[in-house]
Amino acid sequence: MSSSAAERGQEYALETKGLLKQFASVKAINHLTIAVPRGGITSIVGPNGSGKSTLINMLSGTLPIDEGMVVLDGTALRVIKPYDSPSHGVTRTFQEVRLFDQMSLWDNMLVVLTKRNVLGALLERAGTAHSSRAQELLEMVGLWDKRAAFAEELSYGQRKLLEIARALAMDVKLYLFDEPFAGLFPAVLEKVKVLLQDLKKEGKTIIFIEHNMDLIRELSDYIFVLDSGELLAEGEVHEVLARPEVIEAYLGT
Amino acid sequence: MIEKLKAVSPWRRFTAQPGNVGAALRKNSQFLITLAVIALAATFMLSQGSGFAVRVIQLSAIFAILAVSLNLVIGYTGLLSLAHVGFFGIGAYSVAVLTTHPAYEQVPGHIRYFDWPFFAALPVGMLVAGVVALFVGGVLSRFRDDIFVLVTFGLAVIAHRVFLFWLPVTRGAFGIHAIEKPSIFGFVFDGKTEFMLLTLGFLALVVFVSWLVVSSSFGRVLMAIREDEGAIEVFGYKARNYKLTIWVISAMMAAVAGGLSASEQTYIDPQSFVLLESIFLVCIVILGGLASLVGSLLGALVFVLLMEGMRFIDFIPDALVGQGRLAILGILIVLLMVFRPQGLVGRYKL
Amino acid sequence: MLKYLGARDGRWSVSGLLTQRSLSVLLIAGAVFYVVLILAQDPQKFLQFTLNGIVIGAIYAMVAMGFTLVYGTVWFFDLSYGAMATIGGYTVFYLSGQQRTIGRGSIHNTAVDIFVGALVAGVVAWVLYTWLYPNLRNRFDRRLLLASGFVLSILAGGYTGFLLSQPLSLNLIFGPVVGVMVAILAVWLLHLALGRPKTTSLKMAVAATVGLALGAYTALLLAVTPGANLYLSWVVGAAIAGATGLALYRGLYFYLRRRASSPLIMLVGSLGVLLTLTALVSIVFSPDGRPLPPPFGETPWRFWGASIKPFQVFNIGFTFVVFAGLVLLLFRTSFGKAVRAIGDDEEVARIVGINAPVIIAVIFALGAAIAATGGILLGEDLGIKPTNGLVLLLKGWVAAVVGGIGNIYGAILGGFVLGMVENYGVWFIPAAWKDAIAFGLLILFLSFWSRGLLPRK
Ligand SMILES: Nc1ncnc2c1ncn2[C@@H]1O[C@H](COP(=O)(O)OP(=O)(O)O)[C@@H](O)[C@H]1O
Ligand SMILES: [Mg+2]
Repeated sequence: MSSSAAERGQEYALETKGLLKQFASVKAINHLTIAVPRGGITSIVGPNGSGKSTLINMLSGTLPIDEGMVVLDGTALRVIKPYDSPSHGVTRTFQEVRLFDQMSLWDNMLVVLTKRNVLGALLERAGTAHSSRAQELLEMVGLWDKRAAFAEELSYGQRKLLEIARALAMDVKLYLFDEPFAGLFPAVLEKVKVLLQDLKKEGKTIIFIEHNMDLIRELSDYIFVLDSGELLAEGEVHEVLARPEVIEAYLGT
Repeated sequence: MIEKLKAVSPWRRFTAQPGNVGAALRKNSQFLITLAVIALAATFMLSQGSGFAVRVIQLSAIFAILAVSLNLVIGYTGLLSLAHVGFFGIGAYSVAVLTTHPAYEQVPGHIRYFDWPFFAALPVGMLVAGVVALFVGGVLSRFRDDIFVLVTFGLAVIAHRVFLFWLPVTRGAFGIHAIEKPSIFGFVFDGKTEFMLLTLGFLALVVFVSWLVVSSSFGRVLMAIREDEGAIEVFGYKARNYKLTIWVISAMMAAVAGGLSASEQTYIDPQSFVLLESIFLVCIVILGGLASLVGSLLGALVFVLLMEGMRFIDFIPDALVGQGRLAILGILIVLLMVFRPQGLVGRYKL
Repeated sequence: MLKYLGARDGRWSVSGLLTQRSLSVLLIAGAVFYVVLILAQDPQKFLQFTLNGIVIGAIYAMVAMGFTLVYGTVWFFDLSYGAMATIGGYTVFYLSGQQRTIGRGSIHNTAVDIFVGALVAGVVAWVLYTWLYPNLRNRFDRRLLLASGFVLSILAGGYTGFLLSQPLSLNLIFGPVVGVMVAILAVWLLHLALGRPKTTSLKMAVAATVGLALGAYTALLLAVTPGANLYLSWVVGAAIAGATGLALYRGLYFYLRRRASSPLIMLVGSLGVLLTLTALVSIVFSPDGRPLPPPFGETPWRFWGASIKPFQVFNIGFTFVVFAGLVLLLFRTSFGKAVRAIGDDEEVARIVGINAPVIIAVIFALGAAIAATGGILLGEDLGIKPTNGLVLLLKGWVAAVVGGIGNIYGAILGGFVLGMVENYGVWFIPAAWKDAIAFGLLILFLSFWSRGLLPRK
């Protein structure tokens, strides 16, 4: 039994078992059971309000789990606190970008790199620690020149980039991106694409939510289709997107 | 209307162009404001004589300790607290109770006296404030934004009632007399100037510690909590611990101010620890500038000058000076919220 | 109906109270035990404390209703709301203080008259510009309209100032105004009663005649009753507070709110307003407490060793009248529907074509008038003091939270609950602990039942 668990741990980066999230009368996630393969890029699609963001919120601890469990890296969890999520190997971005608006880009990056425990953080000088990693990431997304500006001064695309860079600063196994491409101009979109592909090359597991089928075909290896909090289909991208029921329910052309 | 005014303000247009004098002014506005405030204050104090200057500096230093400590909570962590006066009071009462000396027995209705030295009583006061803050902070950690503010409102009222009615310890409205002046190695800080220097010393210490805190990684996490608590938690920081830590540190600093203030006056009663005092402190912090230690120093100075300066305006009857101050302060706060929500030299807008 | 009493999913929603079930049971058991204990100890004292609780609870309920009305619409804490209660009380003091000499003779102050006159002029100008001007501007010359609006506002302001300076003949000058209002109200009510869709000119004529007769009679009645001055000054007090509330919203909060990035801006801004207004009142009228002239029903009724003044019974009744009026307004009129829509989601309300700024302004005026009513009734009972405004505000807020913030039913319930808890709470300890008890209750509720006894929706 235990060996099979370990085996699965090898095989899947993430599993959910009977996951449930209920808002008043809406079951945003309705007893969802999925398994996300390790490594590679997995996409989640589904109409608006189908529970995609809710799923990510539950995996990262932003929303408490009502029922069911999440298996991360072979560890079964019934409760995920947001501040524990990095230690379970998870980080994320938000659908509506959430930066630290009245802090410089520099601080926005550094703040996720520093020591987590209170005493350690108190004894760490803010300006010097971890600066090389922060610089590297800011240069990667092309925002190094703006490092002294407040995050609130950035344009929408730059905000998205900064948020992704902030997630990349976390050294975890599973990255959750909630609509990273939404509303981006082509040039920025290409940049984000490259960032995700590079991440994949490092052997990380990536889950992202997207509505654009071309992007999904191009980037992802595996796909889950959600509808009303339930799993409609899953599998290899090209195969799933060709299925008639998926086309009918979601793509609806 | 206000928006339109802002949009067409020639000053704005002037300062928005790069490379001219206006832009330079704008870029260095904080530095220039600081200079201007200090220059004005110095002129004013010099013109009124050294006694006045000592009084103003003494008062400003006490307020500055309170404002700097409160800024850690409001400006850096985004917790607008009105409960600070409670910790101020705890510090004051601890020092008062512990240091009253035998002369106290001649006060009618006396309780017991401990006759501790000031420098032994002060750490105890800080400790008591810290423990109370830990407890209160646990309750407060459930609340955010405006609910947080209003709960601290309530805490300030409760604190005042405790000072007023916990008779066996505080003697209620009678207050506590014969509070000892600090002395160390036989040197007693009983002159006004000496005491002012001592207060300034403590202020320097508080500012230094605050600076250490805000310039550490810890300080940056505080700011992130202020900006978006939910987001920073996802990155592995347990916001509650951070908030509690800074809350306790801040409370202990306020207790220092309380102890100094009690010792300076040698007499305290609950009237010095009313909600209004907390409102003053919040005004000082916002006026000086949120998330700026220099701002809090400036804010305290400006506030005290404003309050003391009202005495010199002839046409206001003495009895109404206090109310006049309040009116001016209120108007100032409204104007700040409309035109400069970051205060004089702040780096954070509410 | 049940829905607004807090029933959710078909279930009675005091279950909102049972979210922390064990705690609730403990709390309720403890409370029952405590009440039984003190009842057994001294039934007469218990009755007196209960009456005291209901009396003060009515005031809290009044203030809480106004507070929750405003808060539930704009969702920011308007601390200056407390100052409205002060303004109401002091208007009554100002008007009546000129008739009787209180300590230092006449308290007449021309600056106050001018200030209030300007305030009213501004509000009248706003009303004309918001309601009449859009309807009339295509039919008449705009410049003429604006000029006559200007003149009308000035006249209204001047009339108010004059009114304030002539409190002795308040009944004479004010009578016609009330008469006109009664007439309009009567016509409107009859209009409703006679059936709107099928209005004929005959029915309208009947309505108009009845209305005019009623109005004239009221005016006459007021004019020949000098004792009416006090009660008229109550109306003036509420109206002036309402005008102040409206002016504050239109002149300050409206702009502040558009730019505010956090609720704290509004909170601090309104704190500044509260400080200023309280200080100004103190400067004009001295910071000390004052009595208001005694109204009717000052001799207490006594029974079973307890006593209550008829005036206090009137207060309780009046609270319920205001409550009923608010319920009708909120749940039976299109205005109320718009108010609730704004409270639920202002953006959506705007999109469906609700004129949010105007409706919010009216809500501010209404809220301020209700706060002033609370301040006046409390003042008539216990005297006034500039700082009472803040106290009333805090109590009203606690009551609103305990009842369930944003819900008018919760506000009235919370007011009485708070009154009772405060009074029962000081059974064994000095009465001055009341404030601390109120805040203890607040923290308890915010911690465990943050949606209150009757949650909004
Ligand atoms: N915090 C919340 N409170 C109440 N309902 C919510 C909340 N978050 C999401 N929902 C509801 O859950 C459902 C799923 O939402 P979401 O996960 O955001 O959908 P998606 O991201 O797929 O568009 C929607 O019906 C939404 O209204
Ligand atoms: Mg979504």
